[in-house]
Amino acid sequence: MPKREDIKSILVIGSGPIVIGQACEFDYSGAQACKVLREEGYRVILVNSNPATIMTDPELADATYVEPITPAFVEKVIAKERPDACLPTLGGQTGLNTAVELAKSGVLERYGVELIGCDVDVIERGEDRKLFNECMADLGIEVSRAGYAYSVEDALAIAEELGYPVVLRPSFTMGGAGGGIARDVAELVRIVSQGLELSPASEVLVEESIEGWKEYEMEVMRDAAGNGIIVCSIENLDPMGVHTGDSITVAPAQTLTDLEYQRMRAASLAVLERVGVATGGSNVQFAVHPETGRMVIIEMNPRVSRSSALASKATGFPIAKAAARLAVGYTLDEIVNDMTGTTPACFEPTIDYCVVKAPRFAFEKFQGADDTLTTRMKAVGEVMAVGRTFEESLGKALRSLETGRAGFGADGKGEETALTDEELFAALSRPTAERIFLAAEALRRGMSAEELHERTAIDMFFCNRMADMVAVQEALRGCALEDMDAEAFQIAKRYGLSDAEIAVLTGSDERTVRACRKILGVRPAFKTVDTCAAEFPTKTAYHYKIYDADESEVAEKTRPRALILGAGPNRIGQGIEFDYCCVHASYALADAGYETIMVNCNPETVSTDYDTSDMLFFEPLTYEDVMDVVDATDPDGVVVTLGGQTPLKLARALEEAGVPIMGTSPDAIDLAEDRDRFAALLDSLDIAYPRSAMASGLEEARSAAREIGYPLLVRPSYVLGGRGMGIVYDDAGLARYVAEATAVSPDHPVYLDKFLEGAVECDLDALCDGEDVYIGGILEHIEMAGIHSGDSACCLPPFSLSAKVQDEMASVARKIALALGVRGLVNIQFAVKDGVVYVIEANPRASRTVPFISKATGVPLAKLASRIMAGEKLAALKLPEHFAKPGRYFVKEAVMPFGRFPGADALLGPEMRSTGEVMGIAESFPAAYMKTQMAIDYAEPEGGMAFISVNDQDKRAVAFIARELVRLGFSLLATEGTAAVLRASGVPCEVTGKIHEGKSSVVDAIAAGEISLMINTPLGVATRDDGYELRRAAVRHGITYATTLAAAQALIAGMQAARAGELDVAPLQEL
Amino acid sequence: MSKIAEEMRAATSKPAAVPALLVLEDGAVFAGTSCGAPGEAFGEICFNTSLEGYLEIATDPSYAGQIVVLTYPQVGNYGVNADDAQAQHPALRALVVRDLCPTPSSWRSQESLGDYLTREGVVAIEGIDTRALVRHIRDHGAQRAVVSTTDADVASLLEKVRRSPSLVGVNLAADVSCDGAYSYTAANLPASHGFALAAPAEPRFKVVVYHCGVKRSILDGLVASGCELTVVPWDTPAEEVLAMGPDGVFLSNGPGDPEAVGETYRQAEKLLGRVPLFGICLGHQMMAKAAGAEIDKLKFGHHGGNHPVQNLLTGRVEVTAQNHGFCPCFQSLGALVPELSGGATEHVEDLREWGRRGIAPVVANERFGRIRLTHVNLDDGTAEGFAFLDVPAFSVQYHPEAAPGPTDAHYLFTAFARLMEGRDDYLDIDIATDRLSGWKFGSTAEGEVA
Repeated sequence: MPKREDIKSILVIGSGPIVIGQACEFDYSGAQACKVLREEGYRVILVNSNPATIMTDPELADATYVEPITPAFVEKVIAKERPDACLPTLGGQTGLNTAVELAKSGVLERYGVELIGCDVDVIERGEDRKLFNECMADLGIEVSRAGYAYSVEDALAIAEELGYPVVLRPSFTMGGAGGGIARDVAELVRIVSQGLELSPASEVLVEESIEGWKEYEMEVMRDAAGNGIIVCSIENLDPMGVHTGDSITVAPAQTLTDLEYQRMRAASLAVLERVGVATGGSNVQFAVHPETGRMVIIEMNPRVSRSSALASKATGFPIAKAAARLAVGYTLDEIVNDMTGTTPACFEPTIDYCVVKAPRFAFEKFQGADDTLTTRMKAVGEVMAVGRTFEESLGKALRSLETGRAGFGADGKGEETALTDEELFAALSRPTAERIFLAAEALRRGMSAEELHERTAIDMFFCNRMADMVAVQEALRGCALEDMDAEAFQIAKRYGLSDAEIAVLTGSDERTVRACRKILGVRPAFKTVDTCAAEFPTKTAYHYKIYDADESEVAEKTRPRALILGAGPNRIGQGIEFDYCCVHASYALADAGYETIMVNCNPETVSTDYDTSDMLFFEPLTYEDVMDVVDATDPDGVVVTLGGQTPLKLARALEEAGVPIMGTSPDAIDLAEDRDRFAALLDSLDIAYPRSAMASGLEEARSAAREIGYPLLVRPSYVLGGRGMGIVYDDAGLARYVAEATAVSPDHPVYLDKFLEGAVECDLDALCDGEDVYIGGILEHIEMAGIHSGDSACCLPPFSLSAKVQDEMASVARKIALALGVRGLVNIQFAVKDGVVYVIEANPRASRTVPFISKATGVPLAKLASRIMAGEKLAALKLPEHFAKPGRYFVKEAVMPFGRFPGADALLGPEMRSTGEVMGIAESFPAAYMKTQMAIDYAEPEGGMAFISVNDQDKRAVAFIARELVRLGFSLLATEGTAAVLRASGVPCEVTGKIHEGKSSVVDAIAAGEISLMINTPLGVATRDDGYELRRAAVRHGITYATTLAAAQALIAGMQAARAGELDVAPLQEL
Repeated sequence: MSKIAEEMRAATSKPAAVPALLVLEDGAVFAGTSCGAPGEAFGEICFNTSLEGYLEIATDPSYAGQIVVLTYPQVGNYGVNADDAQAQHPALRALVVRDLCPTPSSWRSQESLGDYLTREGVVAIEGIDTRALVRHIRDHGAQRAVVSTTDADVASLLEKVRRSPSLVGVNLAADVSCDGAYSYTAANLPASHGFALAAPAEPRFKVVVYHCGVKRSILDGLVASGCELTVVPWDTPAEEVLAMGPDGVFLSNGPGDPEAVGETYRQAEKLLGRVPLFGICLGHQMMAKAAGAEIDKLKFGHHGGNHPVQNLLTGRVEVTAQNHGFCPCFQSLGALVPELSGGATEHVEDLREWGRRGIAPVVANERFGRIRLTHVNLDDGTAEGFAFLDVPAFSVQYHPEAAPGPTDAHYLFTAFARLMEGRDDYLDIDIATDRLSGWKFGSTAEGEVA
């Protein structure tokens, strides 16, 4: 069927901020969809609150609404744009849920908007376990035995019948949020009570445990004519019990006979048909009993998902693109396979390589949180590796993670080496982020593959492959590098060893290993991902590296090449923002006439879409792998400053190897990173900065502290996202933090900075071509100084700073950028206290705020930076005079993942812990701020009881806020000290005791849902104070809370704006 | 090999390295190590793109005379289960893989693939760049090749391979057929497949199967759809077959050049119109030959489990298993019948055009009347299925039994049963519904606790 002509405009709903379980894979799929729909001639209207996405680039849609993805806001967009149709299956659970609500409330019908790509009944059958189970029963497909609980008592009764352990799944939550495995009554009670609250339907499924079974995922596509295909099968290395997002997974399925695979295939297609998926992509998950082959369906998602992004990257089949075309009426046989250009998309990709995906965790950021992997996803990112064998791919995946490991454990770097045999073997039964390395260590110490299988339930196929990998490592250990011949290198490489690991095993160093290897002629070959195992010729240059091959498929260079190093796996502190910058660099450099080459290993991103750059190398961002790509492609320039810390760390080594670095020189980067060199530079420029010192041990730190004075900001060098940072108020705190910082970064000294308590912080991003500087934007932080800039809400333009102060910042930025010799982007952080502008730090690279500022100002900073790197001058770029748009405020707010990590402190501090961000746009600062809160909470606080407890410094200012809250209809509850101030100011409030005195019932009140808003401004770093319990409770129960008075003030003004109906929507294209 | 390299290799679960060579007649050389029986094997090289199902491929009699390259690099992961084998013994000449797994893992596994190949005397080579080899075959076409573990001299192997017989004109079906007739019924179905497959239908039809190298899964598929089979040798005279009074006759798949299997297509010519006929792969070519079709040799054939085939009657696309190097030419069957071909009077070169027009064209055949093109390959526009309108017969080039591969075309077995019932609408079957009928997904349907 050809495309539909009866619809002209289509609303696409995005997935909002990056959160655990819903990350930038939806930017990839959404961006693909928008591109395709526009190609097909439709008017595309987009709603997404996440400014760091490629999909919200104004060029990708006809009208781009950076607005909260709530039914209310989407309805406003619909009312304004009157789209003919809405495509909700590409924006994850958020997009889907919003569409369902709009359909159910009649909004879609009222405005004549047709849901395409799915319908509400289908979504319900896919997600409502009861309906789903009925469908499965019709098909004769088994589900695990289970029952629904609407109360803890229900759950106890069902678990009694099934026997422990049982699996708990709250209905309609994202990424399995609130789920878990209960092994006993206590665990059941804990998880169910939490799950009932998280589930919009207050419903929890209690299921027989199929822990330890083999787990599979099928990526399926279907068209309106009924054609169905399996794009990819995925087998989890971690058996059932670990969320698939937290599992190491392998594509294609490795251990199914054809009979079993085809049965699963037929079942998957039948599931889509029975559930009623008319068109689009879905995934279906199965568990298979390892000894009987009994097959049980786990779930299906009637939409594009994280694993469809993975499947697209793993096969070269663009699922989201195809899904968008199918939604507008095409059938699979009418869509051409992009890769071959001649054959149709109605086929099943065949691959001639092995893909391994490994999850990236961030438990170090959430101390106190349980790091056991369960059915509730905790990973913050992932990497994908492509090799010819599982062994090759696993080694590659593990060194792609950027956790400091060089592969499958041969580097001897992990904590596992310090464990006794007993501890080590016992630890294997608990799935954790580190378990794969524990497995390597156990095999190293002589554990058999069989025993590893018994302790972990990992399939024997994988255990044996891993045993071979370790056997090869151990055979090499202690040998001299010069005794290795080409064949020894080939074997090492074939079993997944990196040069860095070979160096450890042979007592050499990575560069010598590389040199020896190349002298012996052991060089990698690059093969191509082409959907067809080379059956048909393809033009797409989507490559991966292997060893021991006869032929490489990289095309000859015919014009200048620019190589862009990506940002690697998403983690806290380095996420989609940097991918956005890399993608923009690719576009800009292509425009400048370069053949662009992307190197990255993150399957969730737009940068690893095969048609983003001229060539894509799906490789780890290590020295070895990047150099191999450099050797194969001979680039004329390498971009290292747009992918965050990952490529930056490589800059020096690449330059030393003679690789041409584009833009700011590695020495300038070092000048900014090196505190002493930078301080000397600031001194020479007569620029103020907080007093600081460097210390190599506690003694030095103490004496420095005496000199500078408390409070102090302590941090190790060379880290991103503020890892290991802290504020200390006294000697005891200093001792604790120095010990911790040393653990994070032992080779680097610790820095101590005067902490400017109460200062206002600002971020400034600028472009510099070596002669001229352009101020891209200034962001004023809403949280007070001391909260990591990545976690702080901020506003462009500054809402409280005078023009004089802003000019001062701009002038300082100019001086610094020119003095550093920046060619491209620079980010400078300022603190303003008592009218004095202090420089906190300068980073001559793309910052996290670049996409936000670009969206807010319409000036594409990353693209311009790339053009500067390619030699253009600012003067020729014709930029607007000032970044601010009159009458518009743009607020960025961070999204915190604390709900995923019960036990971790939810207090904002100098350690970055947010996963993503949203943008609010309005004509006033509070209104814009309010929008960000609604974009995160998907609702606004509607009155009820507000709880206030502020520190002594804030007590004087709290009365004003409290009065406004009362005016907004809140009743107040305050701790004694705060209550005394309020009463003195004539604000009525109830009093509650302090928690540690055992008198308070606030936590209970929060748990009971009696509190709807909380203002709690703590001081100091102790986590045992009252605030700890309060904020934990607030996070767990999803209560809006502010931890600074500035935030509280904005929140209240915003609520006033919302009540006054002042929150309008406007597309970026109109601003 | 250095001492270190030897120790590293010895530490793995791989057997000791025995060098082996693969040499193509155009001079391309690939070095690897042996992973099957020792020896030297000559054949025509081709590649299969299935991701799994290596045992089904290795035992498919249609691969007689061929050296098969598997494009998926790690092979043997789940071992070997004899019930999955398509014939008693492998018929292919040699197997070429990137990496053979010596430590299989599956609850169904009985032995490793390496042990199986060795036991069956199949020469196999691993450790070569199979992707480079596939690209070479794709660009230079199928050709003769040799795999040797006994001769390390490339020049000598090249000379030998150039002297080895070509497949063209060789009747390989005779080699893989049966010696005499035998019956095959529900009692012969592989018991161990019971966990996944539905119980067979009650037997309703007596069917004679011409065994030109038939895959066991085809026999299983026919039995499952209610046929009691008498399997007869490839050259059994039509009169003998008709004398058995069958409800239908099935012409099986088989290896090699269809031109060389004259005895079979001459029987087909006699059978057409006398009894309902169904043919798969070589059987399809036999029926086309009987109708006087020209047969083309494909550059490197279709071997895999992901080929899209469009059913021109319904527009639906089936993802199919394929294994053939020859293909009948639809245009050669006769002139178009305009009133049954959407008014078209001229043949089109690319048969996919019919799919775009939504027409299943019909030709007037000199011998058997009207023949309809029912199926077309969407990758390259080759003919994939014919239905005879004036005699009860139809055939497909691809493999509805799959094994290995997707079972979308399972409905063709059902269609054969309908044809034997005398229904005109025998091909009018919803593939999605039919696809489910052969499977058993679970032991219990009810999962919910009250």
